[in-house]
Amino acid sequence: MHELSIAQSLLEVALENCSSKGFSRIGSIKVVIGRASGVMSDALIFGFNALKDGTVASEAALEVEEVPVSGHCNDCGADFTTEESYVLSCPHCGGLSYTIGTGRELMITEMEVF
Amino acid sequence: MKLKLADKILTANERIAEGNRRSFDEKGIFVINLISSPGAGKTTLLETTIKTLGGDVRLGVIEGDIMGTDDAERIDRLGVPVVQINTGGACHLDAGMISDVLGELPLDDIRLLFIENVGNLVCPAEFKLGEDVKVAILSLTEGHDKPLKYPIIFQESRALLISKIDLKPVLDVDVEKIKRDARSLNPSIEIFEISSKTGEGMGQWVQWIKTLIS
Repeated sequence: MHELSIAQSLLEVALENCSSKGFSRIGSIKVVIGRASGVMSDALIFGFNALKDGTVASEAALEVEEVPVSGHCNDCGADFTTEESYVLSCPHCGGLSYTIGTGRELMITEMEVF
Repeated sequence: MKLKLADKILTANERIAEGNRRSFDEKGIFVINLISSPGAGKTTLLETTIKTLGGDVRLGVIEGDIMGTDDAERIDRLGVPVVQINTGGACHLDAGMISDVLGELPLDDIRLLFIENVGNLVCPAEFKLGEDVKVAILSLTEGHDKPLKYPIIFQESRALLISKIDLKPVLDVDVEKIKRDARSLNPSIEIFEISSKTGEGMGQWVQWIKTLIS
């Protein structure tokens, strides 16, 4: 449900980038969402489409790239990636000492502007 | 044309949260963001915590609810400065809501500020308010599967209060599993088993708070 607030924030960041760089319309926006970020892509797109009307992003398509959770095990040294949205132990050795790499992203990475 | 960006989506919220944090730091206020699902006993726990702290620490409270002022009235009766935020539907507090009400609190007279977030185990975890620490409350009646179902809040919190621990004899809830899973998600999390009703664990929790602000 908090995706609506996140969509609002996303729209504000996009509009700000568009106007501050001297463009007048947004064609598309690419975002990267980590699987452990707690944000559902479908709900984010739904929220964005509901909010974009009446802005220079009214025609903009939102593309979401989901990033899996990955990490590095400090016990066995393995780099790992998981389909889960959280990590409890190293999938290789079961070690409990690990560092999370990707999975918590909430970023705008690209916009097409005119 | 294509613009390459690397902007955090929650930039705006984080900027306001940093502003809140600066205001708190200037006034020497330590801020605890209390997060739990509805009915975990946040307000009762806050009342008991305030009573246990006694007059030792100058307190303030921000109450977040979708609607209503019941919680703020309960805190007001204890003589602690309190502001009620009604989000009017939003499932979490954000940094802007906090900065909007800061002027209503006597910040010069507050050393410890509790922010009671909207009852929700999911959304509040994502929005920084400018707090020093998040504390999660999980009541025993919610069951031992919750850390693995709602991992983010357990990863983000400095402490976990397992509340309503007085119900342990009548519930088939595996407290050790809650602790084990919470520690797997967050090895440094402090865990307190606590009951507002019997006072169990209240001393350790309050001592932990006093250590944080000393």
